[in-house]
Amino acid sequence: MTVDAAIVGIGCSAFGRGLPDSQLGLAAFAFKEALDDAGLTREDVDGLSIHLGAPLGVDYDRFAEALGLDIRYVNQSWLHGRFVTNALQHAALAVSAGLADVVACVTAVSFTRERGFLGGPGDVEGNREEGGTHGEAPPYGLTAPAGGAAIAMQRYMHLYGATSAQLAAVPISIRQHALNNPRAIMQQPLTLEAHQTARMVVDPLRLFDCCLISDGAAIVLVTRADRARDLKQKPVRIAAMQGMRSGREEFIFAPRGLGINQQSGKRSFARERDLEIFAQGIARENVQGFYTYDAFSPLVLFALERFGYCGVGEAAAFVQGGRIGPGGALPVNTSGGLLSEAHVAGWNSICEMTRQLRGSAGASQIRDAAALQWGTAWGDSVILTRDA
Amino acid sequence: MIHEKPRPRVGPDSAPFWKGCREHRLMLPTCTACGKAHLPPGPVCPFCFADAIEWRQASGRGTISTWTAVHKAWFPAFAAEAPYNVIQVELDEGPRLTSNLLGGDVPKIGQRVEMVFDDVDAELTLHRFRVI
Repeated sequence: MTVDAAIVGIGCSAFGRGLPDSQLGLAAFAFKEALDDAGLTREDVDGLSIHLGAPLGVDYDRFAEALGLDIRYVNQSWLHGRFVTNALQHAALAVSAGLADVVACVTAVSFTRERGFLGGPGDVEGNREEGGTHGEAPPYGLTAPAGGAAIAMQRYMHLYGATSAQLAAVPISIRQHALNNPRAIMQQPLTLEAHQTARMVVDPLRLFDCCLISDGAAIVLVTRADRARDLKQKPVRIAAMQGMRSGREEFIFAPRGLGINQQSGKRSFARERDLEIFAQGIARENVQGFYTYDAFSPLVLFALERFGYCGVGEAAAFVQGGRIGPGGALPVNTSGGLLSEAHVAGWNSICEMTRQLRGSAGASQIRDAAALQWGTAWGDSVILTRDA
Repeated sequence: MIHEKPRPRVGPDSAPFWKGCREHRLMLPTCTACGKAHLPPGPVCPFCFADAIEWRQASGRGTISTWTAVHKAWFPAFAAEAPYNVIQVELDEGPRLTSNLLGGDVPKIGQRVEMVFDDVDAELTLHRFRVI
Protein backbone atom coordinates (compact mmCIF):
# COMPACT_ATOMS: atom_id res chain seq x y z
CA MET A 1 0.00 0.00 0.00
CA THR A 2 1.36 3.41 -0.92
CA VAL A 3 0.70 6.25 1.48
CA ASP A 4 -1.36 8.76 -0.46
CA ALA A 5 -2.44 11.40 2.00
CA ALA A 6 -2.53 15.13 2.49
CA ILE A 7 -3.38 17.64 5.17
CA VAL A 8 -6.32 19.69 3.91
CA GLY A 9 -7.55 21.57 6.95
CA ILE A 10 -6.18 22.94 10.20
CA GLY A 11 -7.89 24.58 13.12
CA CYS A 12 -6.78 25.83 16.51
CA SER A 13 -8.51 27.14 19.59
CA ALA A 14 -7.05 30.02 21.51
CA PHE A 15 -3.90 29.02 23.36
CA GLY A 16 -3.54 30.15 26.95
CA ARG A 17 -3.13 29.33 30.59
CA GLY A 18 -6.19 28.81 32.70
CA LEU A 19 -8.66 28.94 29.81
CA PRO A 20 -12.21 28.45 31.12
CA ASP A 21 -13.32 26.10 28.33
CA SER A 22 -13.62 22.35 28.65
CA GLN A 23 -11.27 20.22 26.57
CA LEU A 24 -14.25 19.26 24.46
CA GLY A 25 -15.15 22.92 24.04
CA LEU A 26 -11.65 23.76 22.85
CA ALA A 27 -11.79 20.80 20.46
CA ALA A 28 -15.17 21.84 19.04
CA PHE A 29 -13.90 25.34 18.29
CA ALA A 30 -10.79 23.99 16.56
CA PHE A 31 -12.82 21.40 14.65
CA LYS A 32 -15.18 24.03 13.21
CA GLU A 33 -12.22 26.14 12.21
CA ALA A 34 -10.53 23.16 10.51
CA LEU A 35 -13.69 22.26 8.57
CA ASP A 36 -14.06 25.84 7.43
CA ASP A 37 -10.39 25.96 6.48
CA ALA A 38 -10.78 22.82 4.36
CA GLY A 39 -14.17 23.63 2.90
CA LEU A 40 -15.61 20.44 4.39
CA THR A 41 -18.61 19.73 6.57
CA ARG A 42 -18.72 17.51 9.61
CA GLU A 43 -20.58 14.92 7.53
CA ASP A 44 -17.43 14.51 5.43
CA VAL A 45 -15.41 13.41 8.46
CA ASP A 46 -15.68 9.65 8.96
CA GLY A 47 -12.45 8.95 10.82
CA LEU A 48 -10.90 10.08 14.09
CA SER A 49 -7.32 9.87 15.27
CA ILE A 50 -7.34 11.00 18.87
CA HIS A 51 -3.91 11.87 20.19
CA LEU A 52 -4.52 12.37 23.88
CA GLY A 53 -7.19 10.04 25.17
CA ALA A 54 -7.99 8.92 28.68
CA PRO A 55 -7.10 9.53 31.41
CA LEU A 56 -6.17 13.07 30.40
CA GLY A 57 -7.92 13.91 27.15
CA VAL A 58 -11.26 13.43 25.46
CA ASP A 59 -12.03 9.92 24.26
CA TYR A 60 -13.08 9.27 20.66
CA ASP A 61 -16.64 8.17 21.47
CA ARG A 62 -17.40 11.24 23.54
CA PHE A 63 -15.92 13.47 20.83
CA ALA A 64 -18.06 11.83 18.13
CA GLU A 65 -21.15 11.92 20.31
CA ALA A 66 -20.72 15.52 21.39
CA LEU A 67 -20.06 16.84 17.89
CA GLY A 68 -22.70 14.72 16.19
CA LEU A 69 -20.36 12.72 13.99
CA ASP A 70 -20.89 9.34 12.34
CA ILE A 71 -17.49 7.64 12.41
CA ARG A 72 -16.24 4.44 10.77
CA TYR A 73 -12.53 4.50 11.67
CA VAL A 74 -10.89 5.31 15.01
CA ASN A 75 -7.38 5.40 16.34
CA GLN A 76 -6.68 6.62 19.87
CA SER A 77 -3.55 6.84 21.95
CA TRP A 78 -3.34 7.52 25.65
CA LEU A 79 -2.13 10.56 27.49
CA HIS A 80 1.43 10.82 26.19
CA GLY A 81 2.56 13.66 23.98
CA ARG A 82 4.88 11.21 22.25
CA PHE A 83 2.13 9.89 19.98
CA VAL A 84 1.79 12.95 17.76
CA THR A 85 3.50 11.31 14.79
CA ASN A 86 1.68 8.10 15.48
CA ALA A 87 -1.73 9.80 15.36
CA LEU A 88 -0.91 11.55 12.08
CA GLN A 89 0.50 8.36 10.56
CA HIS A 90 -2.61 6.40 11.47
CA ALA A 91 -4.72 9.01 9.73
CA ALA A 92 -2.53 8.82 6.62
CA LEU A 93 -2.63 5.02 6.59
CA ALA A 94 -6.39 4.92 7.14
CA VAL A 95 -7.23 7.20 4.22
CA SER A 96 -4.68 5.44 2.01
CA ALA A 97 -6.23 2.05 2.80
CA GLY A 98 -9.76 3.30 2.29
CA LEU A 99 -10.76 2.81 5.92
CA ALA A 100 -11.89 6.43 6.00
CA ASP A 101 -12.26 9.32 3.59
CA VAL A 102 -11.42 12.16 5.95
CA VAL A 103 -9.73 11.64 9.30
CA ALA A 104 -9.69 14.36 11.94
CA CYS A 105 -6.57 14.27 14.12
CA VAL A 106 -7.73 15.64 17.44
CA THR A 107 -5.68 17.07 20.28
CA ALA A 108 -7.37 19.06 23.01
CA VAL A 109 -5.84 19.56 26.40
CA SER A 110 -6.32 21.64 29.52
CA PHE A 111 -2.98 21.11 31.19
CA THR A 112 -3.50 23.95 33.65
CA ARG A 113 -6.62 22.27 35.02
CA GLU A 114 -5.15 18.77 34.85
CA ARG A 115 -1.60 19.46 35.95
CA GLY A 116 -1.80 16.80 38.63
CA PHE A 117 -1.11 14.36 35.81
CA LEU A 118 2.32 15.87 35.32
CA GLY A 119 4.55 14.20 37.86
CA GLY A 120 2.46 14.68 40.99
CA PRO A 121 0.37 12.35 43.13
CA GLY A 122 -2.28 12.28 40.38
CA ASP A 123 0.15 10.92 37.80
CA VAL A 124 -1.28 7.43 37.46
CA GLU A 125 1.07 6.69 34.62
CA GLY A 126 4.26 7.68 36.40
CA ASN A 127 3.24 5.70 39.47
CA ARG A 128 2.43 2.42 37.79
CA GLU A 129 4.04 -0.90 38.55
CA GLU A 130 7.50 -0.35 37.12
CA GLY A 131 7.52 3.42 37.10
CA GLY A 132 6.72 5.65 34.18
CA THR A 133 8.23 5.56 30.75
CA HIS A 134 10.18 8.79 31.16
CA GLY A 135 12.42 7.12 33.72
CA GLU A 136 10.17 7.93 36.65
CA ALA A 137 11.20 6.22 39.87
CA PRO A 138 8.63 7.63 42.29
CA PRO A 139 10.01 6.12 45.54
CA TYR A 140 13.31 7.89 44.81
CA GLY A 141 11.75 11.24 43.98
CA LEU A 142 12.05 11.17 40.20
CA THR A 143 8.38 11.61 39.42
CA ALA A 144 7.96 13.88 36.40
CA PRO A 145 8.77 13.60 32.69
CA ALA A 146 11.22 16.49 33.12
CA GLY A 147 13.36 14.21 35.27
CA GLY A 148 13.91 11.86 32.36
CA ALA A 149 15.11 14.69 30.15
CA ALA A 150 17.33 15.94 32.98
CA ILE A 151 19.19 12.67 33.58
CA ALA A 152 19.72 12.33 29.83
CA MET A 153 21.06 15.89 29.47
CA GLN A 154 23.29 15.50 32.52
CA ARG A 155 24.99 12.49 30.94
CA TYR A 156 25.11 14.18 27.53
CA MET A 157 26.88 17.19 29.10
CA HIS A 158 29.35 14.90 30.84
CA LEU A 159 30.17 12.96 27.67
CA TYR A 160 30.42 15.85 25.23
CA GLY A 161 31.21 18.90 27.35
CA ALA A 162 27.97 20.66 26.43
CA THR A 163 26.90 23.44 28.79
CA SER A 164 23.67 24.94 30.05
CA ALA A 165 24.58 28.19 28.30
CA GLN A 166 24.82 26.29 25.00
CA LEU A 167 21.53 24.56 25.69
CA ALA A 168 19.97 28.00 26.21
CA ALA A 169 20.26 28.62 22.46
CA VAL A 170 17.33 26.23 22.00
CA PRO A 171 14.69 28.08 24.05
CA ILE A 172 16.12 31.47 23.03
CA SER A 173 15.88 30.65 19.31
CA ILE A 174 12.42 29.17 19.65
CA ARG A 175 11.32 32.25 21.60
CA GLN A 176 12.57 34.41 18.72
CA HIS A 177 10.26 32.46 16.44
CA ALA A 178 7.37 32.94 18.87
CA LEU A 179 7.83 36.72 18.71
CA ASN A 180 6.74 36.47 15.05
CA ASN A 181 3.56 34.64 16.07
CA PRO A 182 0.74 36.58 17.74
CA ARG A 183 -0.91 33.32 18.87
CA ALA A 184 2.14 32.37 20.95
CA ILE A 185 1.68 32.61 24.69
CA MET A 186 5.21 33.88 25.29
CA GLN A 187 5.67 37.33 23.78
CA GLN A 188 8.77 38.65 25.56
CA PRO A 189 12.32 38.07 24.26
CA LEU A 190 14.36 35.54 26.22
CA THR A 191 17.95 36.48 26.98
CA LEU A 192 20.84 34.24 27.91
CA GLU A 193 21.02 35.99 31.26
CA ALA A 194 17.34 35.37 31.95
CA HIS A 195 17.80 31.73 31.03
CA GLN A 196 20.85 31.28 33.23
CA THR A 197 19.38 33.03 36.27
CA ALA A 198 15.95 31.40 36.09
CA ARG A 199 15.17 28.88 38.77
CA MET A 200 16.51 25.38 38.49
CA VAL A 201 13.73 22.84 38.06
CA VAL A 202 15.56 19.56 37.74
CA ASP A 203 19.29 19.93 37.17
CA PRO A 204 20.43 20.85 34.49
CA LEU A 205 16.98 21.94 33.29
CA ARG A 206 16.13 25.49 34.25
CA LEU A 207 12.68 27.05 33.98
CA PHE A 208 12.96 28.03 30.31
CA ASP A 209 14.21 24.58 29.32
CA CYS A 210 10.77 23.29 30.24
CA CYS A 211 7.74 23.81 28.05
CA LEU A 212 4.60 25.70 28.85
CA ILE A 213 1.81 24.17 30.87
CA SER A 214 -1.07 25.46 28.80
CA ASP A 215 -4.50 24.84 27.34
CA GLY A 216 -5.57 24.55 23.76
CA ALA A 217 -6.77 22.37 20.92
CA ALA A 218 -5.59 21.72 17.41
CA ILE A 219 -7.30 19.71 14.68
CA VAL A 220 -5.67 18.48 11.49
CA LEU A 221 -7.81 17.02 8.70
CA VAL A 222 -6.28 14.35 6.49
CA THR A 223 -7.63 12.88 3.26
CA ARG A 224 -6.35 11.16 0.10
CA ALA A 225 -4.13 13.32 -2.07
CA ASP A 226 -6.41 13.10 -5.13
CA ARG A 227 -9.41 14.25 -3.13
CA ALA A 228 -7.31 16.95 -1.49
CA ARG A 229 -6.80 18.68 -4.85
CA ASP A 230 -10.54 19.36 -5.11
CA LEU A 231 -10.69 21.14 -1.77
CA LYS A 232 -10.30 24.73 -0.72
CA GLN A 233 -6.64 24.87 0.29
CA LYS A 234 -3.40 23.99 -1.44
CA PRO A 235 -2.84 20.43 -0.18
CA VAL A 236 0.14 19.61 1.99
CA ARG A 237 1.40 16.13 1.16
CA ILE A 238 2.48 13.59 3.75
CA ALA A 239 5.43 12.69 1.57
CA ALA A 240 7.47 10.38 3.78
CA MET A 241 7.23 8.80 7.18
CA GLN A 242 8.91 6.48 9.64
CA GLY A 243 7.68 5.01 12.89
CA MET A 244 8.61 5.26 16.53
CA ARG A 245 11.70 3.42 17.77
CA SER A 246 11.61 1.28 20.87
CA GLY A 247 13.81 -1.26 22.62
CA ARG A 248 16.53 -1.50 25.25
CA GLU A 249 18.73 0.90 23.28
CA GLU A 250 15.96 3.48 23.35
CA PHE A 251 14.88 5.82 26.11
CA ILE A 252 12.16 8.28 25.19
CA PHE A 253 14.15 11.35 26.22
CA ALA A 254 17.69 10.35 25.20
CA PRO A 255 19.50 9.67 21.95
CA ARG A 256 19.81 6.01 21.06
CA GLY A 257 22.47 4.28 23.14
CA LEU A 258 23.33 7.25 25.42
CA GLY A 259 23.47 5.13 28.56
CA ILE A 260 20.22 6.00 30.33
CA ASN A 261 18.16 3.23 31.91
CA GLN A 262 19.21 0.06 30.09
CA GLN A 263 20.76 1.66 27.00
CA SER A 264 24.19 0.19 26.24
CA GLY A 265 26.07 3.48 26.28
CA LYS A 266 27.40 2.77 22.79
CA ARG A 267 26.44 5.56 20.46
CA SER A 268 26.96 5.77 16.75
CA PHE A 269 26.08 8.18 14.02
CA ALA A 270 22.48 7.96 12.86
CA ARG A 271 22.09 4.59 11.20
CA GLU A 272 20.52 3.81 7.84
CA ARG A 273 17.56 2.26 9.64
CA ASP A 274 16.99 5.51 11.51
CA LEU A 275 17.16 7.55 8.33
CA GLU A 276 14.71 5.65 6.17
CA ILE A 277 12.63 8.83 6.13
CA PHE A 278 15.17 10.40 3.76
CA ALA A 279 15.07 7.47 1.31
CA GLN A 280 11.50 8.17 0.27
CA GLY A 281 12.10 11.01 -2.17
CA ILE A 282 13.14 13.95 0.02
CA ALA A 283 16.79 14.04 1.03
CA ARG A 284 17.84 15.72 4.27
CA GLU A 285 19.60 18.53 2.41
CA ASN A 286 16.26 19.49 0.85
CA VAL A 287 14.53 19.92 4.22
CA GLN A 288 14.06 23.66 4.82
CA GLY A 289 12.80 23.58 8.39
CA PHE A 290 12.75 21.11 11.26
CA TYR A 291 9.91 20.68 13.73
CA THR A 292 10.12 18.65 16.88
CA TYR A 293 8.55 17.87 20.22
CA ASP A 294 10.29 20.44 22.39
CA ALA A 295 8.78 19.60 25.76
CA PHE A 296 12.29 20.09 27.16
CA SER A 297 15.10 21.88 25.35
CA PRO A 298 17.49 18.86 25.29
CA LEU A 299 14.96 16.99 23.13
CA VAL A 300 15.72 19.40 20.30
CA LEU A 301 19.41 18.52 20.47
CA PHE A 302 18.69 14.82 20.58
CA ALA A 303 16.29 14.96 17.62
CA LEU A 304 18.80 16.90 15.49
CA GLU A 305 21.44 14.24 16.18
CA ARG A 306 19.08 11.36 15.57
CA PHE A 307 18.22 12.61 12.11
CA GLY A 308 21.84 13.33 11.28
CA TYR A 309 21.69 17.12 11.01
CA CYS A 310 24.91 17.00 13.01
CA GLY A 311 27.18 14.32 14.41
CA VAL A 312 27.06 12.55 17.76
CA GLY A 313 27.67 15.04 20.56
CA GLU A 314 27.69 18.01 18.19
CA ALA A 315 24.15 19.35 18.57
CA ALA A 316 24.89 21.81 21.39
CA ALA A 317 27.43 23.52 19.14
CA PHE A 318 25.21 23.12 16.07
CA VAL A 319 22.34 25.21 17.52
CA GLN A 320 24.56 28.25 18.24
CA GLY A 321 24.75 31.42 16.20
CA GLY A 322 21.09 31.61 15.23
CA ARG A 323 21.20 28.50 13.06
CA ILE A 324 17.78 27.26 14.28
CA GLY A 325 16.23 30.69 14.80
CA PRO A 326 14.37 32.97 12.38
CA GLY A 327 16.28 33.23 9.11
CA GLY A 328 18.74 30.54 10.19
CA ALA A 329 20.03 27.72 8.01
CA LEU A 330 17.66 25.27 9.69
CA PRO A 331 14.77 27.02 11.43
CA VAL A 332 13.26 24.87 14.19
CA ASN A 333 9.67 25.15 15.45
CA THR A 334 8.88 28.40 13.67
CA SER A 335 5.66 29.12 15.55
CA GLY A 336 7.31 28.79 18.95
CA GLY A 337 6.80 25.11 19.72
CA LEU A 338 5.84 23.82 23.13
CA LEU A 339 8.49 26.02 24.72
CA SER A 340 6.98 29.35 23.66
CA GLU A 341 3.77 29.00 21.63
CA ALA A 342 1.71 26.46 23.58
CA HIS A 343 1.76 22.84 24.68
CA VAL A 344 -0.76 21.40 22.27
CA ALA A 345 1.34 18.25 22.22
CA GLY A 346 3.12 19.28 19.04
CA TRP A 347 0.04 19.82 16.88
CA ASN A 348 0.65 23.54 16.95
CA SER A 349 3.79 22.71 14.99
CA ILE A 350 1.95 20.43 12.54
CA CYS A 351 -0.47 23.32 11.89
CA GLU A 352 2.48 25.68 11.49
CA MET A 353 4.17 23.34 8.97
CA THR A 354 0.92 23.32 7.00
CA ARG A 355 0.77 27.12 6.97
CA GLN A 356 4.41 27.27 5.91
CA LEU A 357 3.85 24.94 2.98
CA ARG A 358 0.77 26.88 1.91
CA GLY A 359 2.86 30.05 2.03
CA SER A 360 0.57 31.60 4.63
CA ALA A 361 2.84 31.69 7.69
CA GLY A 362 3.06 35.47 7.80
CA ALA A 363 6.10 36.88 9.60
CA SER A 364 7.35 33.34 10.29
CA GLN A 365 7.35 32.31 6.64
CA ILE A 366 10.32 30.25 5.47
CA ARG A 367 11.02 31.53 1.98
CA ASP A 368 9.63 29.26 -0.72
CA ALA A 369 9.03 26.44 1.79
CA ALA A 370 8.54 23.18 -0.12
CA ALA A 371 9.68 20.41 2.27
CA LEU A 372 9.65 20.40 6.07
CA GLN A 373 10.39 17.63 8.54
CA TRP A 374 8.67 16.71 11.79
CA GLY A 375 10.94 14.36 13.74
CA THR A 376 11.11 13.49 17.41
CA ALA A 377 13.91 12.52 19.78
CA TRP A 378 12.39 9.03 19.86
CA GLY A 379 12.84 8.60 16.14
CA ASP A 380 9.48 8.87 14.44
CA SER A 381 9.05 11.37 11.66
CA VAL A 382 6.99 12.69 8.78
CA ILE A 383 8.10 14.90 5.93
CA LEU A 384 5.45 17.26 4.62
CA THR A 385 5.74 18.82 1.19
CA ARG A 386 4.01 21.42 -0.90
CA ASP A 387 1.85 19.58 -3.41
CA ALA A 388 3.54 19.50 -6.82
CA MET B 1 5.41 6.75 61.39
CA ILE B 2 3.83 6.26 58.00
CA HIS B 3 6.05 6.61 54.97
CA GLU B 4 4.10 9.09 52.83
CA LYS B 5 6.26 9.11 49.74
CA PRO B 6 5.27 6.95 46.79
CA ARG B 7 5.99 3.29 47.41
CA PRO B 8 7.25 0.78 44.86
CA ARG B 9 4.41 -0.92 43.01
CA VAL B 10 5.44 -4.47 43.69
CA GLY B 11 4.27 -6.93 41.02
CA PRO B 12 4.87 -10.59 40.25
CA ASP B 13 8.06 -9.89 38.29
CA SER B 14 9.58 -7.45 40.79
CA ALA B 15 8.53 -9.00 44.13
CA PRO B 16 11.81 -10.92 44.66
CA PHE B 17 13.78 -7.70 44.12
CA TRP B 18 11.90 -5.85 46.89
CA LYS B 19 11.92 -8.90 49.15
CA GLY B 20 15.69 -8.94 48.72
CA CYS B 21 15.91 -5.28 49.76
CA ARG B 22 13.86 -6.11 52.85
CA GLU B 23 16.50 -8.74 53.68
CA HIS B 24 19.29 -6.24 52.86
CA ARG B 25 20.43 -8.16 49.82
CA LEU B 26 20.52 -6.95 46.22
CA MET B 27 18.88 -9.70 44.20
CA LEU B 28 18.97 -9.55 40.41
CA PRO B 29 17.05 -11.66 37.90
CA THR B 30 19.84 -13.53 36.17
CA CYS B 31 19.66 -15.77 33.13
CA THR B 32 21.06 -19.25 33.70
CA ALA B 33 21.44 -19.70 29.92
CA CYS B 34 23.58 -16.65 29.05
CA GLY B 35 24.56 -15.54 32.55
CA LYS B 36 23.41 -11.94 32.19
CA ALA B 37 21.42 -10.05 34.80
CA HIS B 38 18.74 -7.59 33.76
CA LEU B 39 16.57 -4.81 35.13
CA PRO B 40 13.76 -3.95 35.45
CA PRO B 41 12.81 -7.51 36.36
CA GLY B 42 11.04 -9.20 33.46
CA PRO B 43 9.54 -12.56 32.62
CA VAL B 44 12.28 -13.68 30.21
CA CYS B 45 15.93 -12.85 29.55
CA PRO B 46 15.85 -9.78 27.28
CA PHE B 47 19.30 -10.72 25.90
CA CYS B 48 18.94 -14.38 24.89
CA PHE B 49 15.14 -14.76 25.31
CA ALA B 50 15.51 -17.79 27.59
CA ASP B 51 12.92 -18.43 30.28
CA ALA B 52 15.59 -19.59 32.70
CA ILE B 53 15.59 -16.72 35.18
CA GLU B 54 17.17 -17.24 38.57
CA TRP B 55 17.38 -14.63 41.31
CA ARG B 56 21.01 -14.25 42.34
CA GLN B 57 22.57 -12.02 44.93
CA ALA B 58 24.64 -9.25 43.36
CA SER B 59 27.56 -7.25 44.67
CA GLY B 60 25.68 -4.01 45.27
CA ARG B 61 28.60 -2.09 43.81
CA GLY B 62 28.54 0.05 40.73
CA THR B 63 29.30 3.37 39.08
CA ILE B 64 27.17 6.50 38.83
CA SER B 65 26.15 6.83 35.18
CA THR B 66 23.99 9.93 35.52
CA TRP B 67 22.26 12.04 38.14
CA THR B 68 20.06 15.03 38.72
CA ALA B 69 19.09 17.32 41.56
CA VAL B 70 15.35 17.75 41.86
CA HIS B 71 14.46 21.31 42.89
CA LYS B 72 10.75 21.31 42.14
CA ALA B 73 8.55 19.45 44.59
CA TRP B 74 6.07 17.64 42.37
CA PHE B 75 5.16 15.50 45.39
CA PRO B 76 4.41 17.31 48.65
CA ALA B 77 6.14 14.50 50.54
CA PHE B 78 9.49 15.38 48.95
CA ALA B 79 9.17 19.17 49.42
CA ALA B 80 11.12 19.40 52.67
CA GLU B 81 14.16 17.73 51.11
CA ALA B 82 14.32 19.66 47.83
CA PRO B 83 16.75 19.98 46.24
CA TYR B 84 17.62 16.33 46.56
CA ASN B 85 19.62 14.07 44.28
CA VAL B 86 18.56 11.14 42.14
CA ILE B 87 21.23 8.95 40.60
CA GLN B 88 21.42 6.13 38.12
CA VAL B 89 23.97 3.48 38.97
CA GLU B 90 25.42 1.05 36.50
CA LEU B 91 25.81 -2.03 38.64
CA ASP B 92 28.96 -4.11 38.20
CA GLU B 93 26.65 -6.88 36.98
CA GLY B 94 25.49 -4.62 34.11
CA PRO B 95 21.96 -3.32 34.65
CA ARG B 96 21.22 0.23 35.79
CA LEU B 97 19.15 1.20 38.78
CA THR B 98 17.68 4.53 39.88
CA SER B 99 18.28 5.51 43.49
CA ASN B 100 19.61 8.27 45.76
CA LEU B 101 23.16 9.03 46.88
CA LEU B 102 23.60 9.48 50.63
CA GLY B 103 26.16 11.73 52.23
CA GLY B 104 25.29 15.17 50.96
CA ASP B 105 27.83 15.50 48.14
CA VAL B 106 26.87 16.38 44.60
CA PRO B 107 27.00 13.08 42.65
CA LYS B 108 29.68 12.71 39.99
CA ILE B 109 29.36 10.57 36.90
CA GLY B 110 31.96 7.81 37.11
CA GLN B 111 31.98 7.76 40.91
CA ARG B 112 32.16 4.30 42.52
CA VAL B 113 29.30 3.57 44.90
CA GLU B 114 27.88 0.73 46.95
CA MET B 115 24.33 -0.07 47.96
CA VAL B 116 23.02 0.46 51.46
CA PHE B 117 19.56 -0.40 52.73
CA ASP B 118 17.14 2.05 54.28
CA ASP B 119 14.34 0.50 56.36
CA VAL B 120 11.85 3.30 55.86
CA ASP B 121 8.99 1.64 57.77
CA ALA B 122 7.78 -1.73 59.01
CA GLU B 123 7.09 -3.07 55.51
CA LEU B 124 9.40 -1.25 53.14
CA THR B 125 13.14 -1.15 52.60
CA LEU B 126 14.54 1.08 49.85
CA HIS B 127 18.04 0.81 48.45
CA ARG B 128 20.28 3.87 48.45
CA PHE B 129 23.96 4.27 47.62
CA ARG B 130 27.04 5.73 49.25
CA VAL B 131 30.42 6.57 47.82
CA ILE B 132 32.96 3.79 48.28
